[in-house]
Amino acid sequence: MIIKANIKEALKSLITAKQRTILALIGIVIGIGSVIGMVSIGTIVQNEALKQFRDMGIDIVSVTKDYEDQGGDKGFSIDDIYSLPDYSPLIKKVAPYIISSTQYSYMGQDLYIELMGVDESFFDLNKLYVREGRLLSDLDRDRFFCVIGAETADMLRRVGIRKLIGGQFLFGDRIYTVVGILKDLPEGGGMRPSGINRSAITHISTALRAFTTNDITTFMARVNTQDSKTVKDVIENYFNKKARGLRVRVRTAEELITQMQKQMQLFTLLLGAIGSIALIVGGIGVMNVMLISVTERRKEIGIRRALGAQRNDIETQFIIESVTLCFVGGIIGIIMGIVISYVFAHFSKWEFLISQSAIVLGFGVATAVGVFFGYYPARSASRLDPATALRE
Amino acid sequence: MLRLTDIHKSYRVGPTTVDVLKGISLMVEQGELLSIIGPSGSGKSTLMNIMGLLEQPSAGTYTVGETKITYDDDRTLSSLRNRMIGFVFQQYHLLPRLTAIDNVGLPLIYRGIDEKEIAERSTEYIKKVEMQERSHHKPMELSGGQQQRIAIARALVGSPAIILADEPTGALDTHTGQEIMNLFKRLNEEEGITIVVITHDPKIAAQCKRKVELRDGIITG
Repeated sequence: MIIKANIKEALKSLITAKQRTILALIGIVIGIGSVIGMVSIGTIVQNEALKQFRDMGIDIVSVTKDYEDQGGDKGFSIDDIYSLPDYSPLIKKVAPYIISSTQYSYMGQDLYIELMGVDESFFDLNKLYVREGRLLSDLDRDRFFCVIGAETADMLRRVGIRKLIGGQFLFGDRIYTVVGILKDLPEGGGMRPSGINRSAITHISTALRAFTTNDITTFMARVNTQDSKTVKDVIENYFNKKARGLRVRVRTAEELITQMQKQMQLFTLLLGAIGSIALIVGGIGVMNVMLISVTERRKEIGIRRALGAQRNDIETQFIIESVTLCFVGGIIGIIMGIVISYVFAHFSKWEFLISQSAIVLGFGVATAVGVFFGYYPARSASRLDPATALRE
Repeated sequence: MLRLTDIHKSYRVGPTTVDVLKGISLMVEQGELLSIIGPSGSGKSTLMNIMGLLEQPSAGTYTVGETKITYDDDRTLSSLRNRMIGFVFQQYHLLPRLTAIDNVGLPLIYRGIDEKEIAERSTEYIKKVEMQERSHHKPMELSGGQQQRIAIARALVGSPAIILADEPTGALDTHTGQEIMNLFKRLNEEEGITIVVITHDPKIAAQCKRKVELRDGIITG
């Protein structure tokens, strides 16, 4: 009924008190802006992390020797790993690998490098591609060839080495010939073993002979089903009974995703909470401005009451004014939050996306702040004694 | 129409109680043009606030039309003010942000009447006070007499039972003040509108059909 007239009135009165309105707006804009910005950044980070799973597919599992259950140093036998696909049709492909950290010294500078031994299917499972040269294949068995990660290549170039492909390097205590340089991989997340960017990768057969530690403690597998429970059971049973009684731990992509999503939710919640503090401060600013507005308009309130406005009408009028203020601030704040998250995504080279739920949240929160922080001033306005207010 | 019976009003000022009205009984009939005259401090403003349902008397009964006022419900009181009473104040009390015509329509907004009808009735009443030329001006752009005419249109727009005018000519020069009184007299004679004028000016009071004198909180004549 009188809502429309109230909104018109609210806008007029807000425009009349420009300075005050702008100050309150800044508070709300910063508040809503930080909530939306933070939540959007959270969403962007989450999307980025999940993207790595999408890249690799979610049909990947990683199997690790369970250290807690077995004291001995013995790892998997490579033959046991390779016969796993024959044991169960659920396992399509396996890729054992070993890692041994080392330092590469060149002209007195030490570079930290991950030495890895892998087989051909490792590159396929992890979606690794070369930037220069070629990948290793199973034909490189027992040969001292390696491909190096993007960061390793950069480090070597930085210390002044020009010739990488075809160059020979002393990694650990053997000399390897570099045959390829891998493309740069995004950091963290996904099922990929960490450190590929900083690695020198040789064939696993070479590694088993050359590395100081040659226990295979981990392998990756592509599986045929998305029922992670069955896959886990199959692999655990295989090593428990058919092989050497080895206890294993199987991590599926699905598990990791669930775990990560939980973490991300927490992260987003935390960011949102930080933004909320700014919002509360903004809300208090609104309350302050509304209280001043009520004080300045005591006479107007008295007039309206004399003309027949009920307490409710006065209360509604001021709440609508406060909500209008917050809503306008909300719109600007949402735009600001989106711009912030865009800038963030741009400089992190991450995929930008607008979180629709954040926008809905923004409007919801703006309205709620308006009602919440407008309620007390509106109520005190409606309680004014009209005769006293008119005498002033 | 209005019936006040033995109305008392006292205020507490610190430890002392000040009796402003000490037993006022007064009847205002339909179609009257009545003046309440008294010096300042005689309690006439308090009396008008009570008659206008802006204040609650300390004792006594007040009946508007058929309704005995109980003061326990804001909704009923507001509604009665809105429908039965039209105020005209010494300082006009127009809302500065609204145009003349929007000021006139204000009481109707609180009746939940639709915009179109509010516009029609506001135009009708702004014509009645001969202010149609200025209907889209803000109060600041109008002279005192013009503002008071707008205030009178606002008091009339809801067809109230009675107009309560508190020193309506107090802020105006003699000539303009007389014009406002002429407008009241015309409205009273031609349309039978009940008007109560509160004033301290005997010349204004003399122009009304009936005169009530207030002194120290009691009616003296």
